[in-house]
Amino acid sequence: MEQFLYYLKVSWVSIKRAPLPYALTIFILSLGLGVFFANATFYYQLNSDPLPHKSDKLFFPMTLMVPNECRDCQPPRVLSYTNVQKLSQTDIPSAKAGMYSADGYLRLDTKQAPTPVSIRITQPDFFKMFEVPLLHGSIWADDKARLELILSKPTAEKMFGRSDVVGEKILLDDRDFTVVAVLDDWQMLPRLYDANNGGQLSEADQVYMPLETGYDFNYMSNRQSHTYDYTDYRQLSTQGRTGALNQLQFWVQLDTEAQQQAYRQFMSNLVADEQKAGRHPSAPNNQLVPMRNIVSYFGGESADIKAFALVTLLFLGVCLFNASHLSLNRYISNQYEFSLRRALGASRGQLQQQMLADVLLMATFCCVCGLLIAWGGVTLLNFLWPANSLFGRWDLTLLLLLLVVTFTTSYLVTLYPSLRASFGGLNQQLKE
Amino acid sequence: MIQLKNLSKIFRTELIETHALRSIELQVNEGEFVALTGPSGSGKSTLLNVLGTLEHFDEGDYLLDGQSVKGLSDSALSKLRNEKIGFIFQGFNLIKDYSLQDNIELPLRYRGIAASERKRRAEQALELVGLAARRDYHPSQLSGGQQQRVAIARAIAGQPRILLADEPTGNLDSLMARQVMELLEKINQDGCTILMVTHDPDQARRAGRQVQIVDGQLSDAAMYDPLAVKRA
Repeated sequence: MEQFLYYLKVSWVSIKRAPLPYALTIFILSLGLGVFFANATFYYQLNSDPLPHKSDKLFFPMTLMVPNECRDCQPPRVLSYTNVQKLSQTDIPSAKAGMYSADGYLRLDTKQAPTPVSIRITQPDFFKMFEVPLLHGSIWADDKARLELILSKPTAEKMFGRSDVVGEKILLDDRDFTVVAVLDDWQMLPRLYDANNGGQLSEADQVYMPLETGYDFNYMSNRQSHTYDYTDYRQLSTQGRTGALNQLQFWVQLDTEAQQQAYRQFMSNLVADEQKAGRHPSAPNNQLVPMRNIVSYFGGESADIKAFALVTLLFLGVCLFNASHLSLNRYISNQYEFSLRRALGASRGQLQQQMLADVLLMATFCCVCGLLIAWGGVTLLNFLWPANSLFGRWDLTLLLLLLVVTFTTSYLVTLYPSLRASFGGLNQQLKE
Repeated sequence: MIQLKNLSKIFRTELIETHALRSIELQVNEGEFVALTGPSGSGKSTLLNVLGTLEHFDEGDYLLDGQSVKGLSDSALSKLRNEKIGFIFQGFNLIKDYSLQDNIELPLRYRGIAASERKRRAEQALELVGLAARRDYHPSQLSGGQQQRVAIARAIAGQPRILLADEPTGNLDSLMARQVMELLEKINQDGCTILMVTHDPDQARRAGRQVQIVDGQLSDAAMYDPLAVKRA
């Protein structure tokens, strides 16, 4: 340890000998790292798995049960109420939930100005499947319609000034509801359960309403919906449940391979029965997409982010090359001292330990400067693209990852110059 | 202690080959003070560098304590230099940003000697060269003669068995040169073998044995005579 502290001291003395070139090296490398970090922050968050222990057990089933003949068609991204009911009529999944989102206005009484809110209209298993944390109260006991809402914690605090509001009355679009539960802080990132609608970048919903209640009160989806006929589906409570209005997302939890196989078979049998009944003429096309693949399945990966990632990586490469060049100049100007140390008995191994001390110092400086530049970059990107702002955040894993990148680049910047300085004719270098 | 057998050193470029040392046969016994003399470019510094393992040789063999240094790895050579050889360079080769104490401790650090022992040895070496009171000075605060004395202190702090001095008084005036020579004689009297390159005939005469090199060769076979000098 004493020796390593000595190596650090030697590095520091070497920096003080020529601070400007060193500062320039740090600046160039930090700039490359900062730009790279800023982009990596978004890339990491967008591609992260919010439920890594479960993302291969949650599935998004889709079938091509449409009334018209359709060749080489993909199954629709959203399902009709009828088809969700059909896909639910089995005990194979450990959990299942149909859902969609809608807009509404919330207030405590008619004198108060209404607050616009996003509503997730869903079934009780949604909270279990996506591990939504509960702060107060309890989830609806079954799928039946009821005048009960679940609020997010920020919504409860905004409307009531506190979070424990179970049993309180509230008006949603001027209908009386009772709050039965309040969620704890929760933001699934990315919000993969909404990926079929391209909603994986959005914030969590504020209000949760039972699916049947949503249909009863004619809440239409604020995302995508489509139909195959001319029925007026604004009367969702009646037409919506029987017609061909596709607006529902449907998720199932299949914990084992056997369950997954069984559910695939169930879907095949269902589609075959439907065909026999003459309800759809198209060739079967069933999909059971695991949550971890859902974004790529729907082509939701951002091409901009990918292209930007490539550009920032190339920029980091250029900065690395330039910093390495500056570092080489610095090492060559210190080559005399390297040679003297070798002449006096330092082995190349000991000089490489000296180099590691250099790397540690450089990485420390670059980490601080790089993170500052990255913070500036993330702030700027959040300002320019507020929709992505949820993803401009750092967590411990990301910070550790950035630390590893910093050390690796600092090592690369130092490796070649230090090797160059460690080799060569001792006698000649001592004379120079 | 030192034995060179038919040792040759050739400097090669794309166009020419320069025979810096040709078939050198030399034996140096423990405790000798040998002066290597000869005109500029004769190969005496090259010989000293080969003896210090700062340069490789092309032919022949170099035995140190009966063991050939040929084929030793870089780390083995570093260890050998660190433990057995002390260097005194013409240009002092002190690190200007470090105190005298730090400069002297430098080779001891690479030997893994504990801090307290390093400090003790450095102080002892500075005491010997008469600069104990200036241990916290930096080289630039000293005269040339004092700097060379610091370089000598650095060389002897590791208690080497061989001291290689390349024109140690080359950059000094006559008074300082005399002080340095007296110091070297004292170190030699304490049992350290010294090989010193010098241009100065007076200094060469103060050594126990003179070896002259001309055109990369020992100029007289009689120079190879380990029994020629018996120091008092």
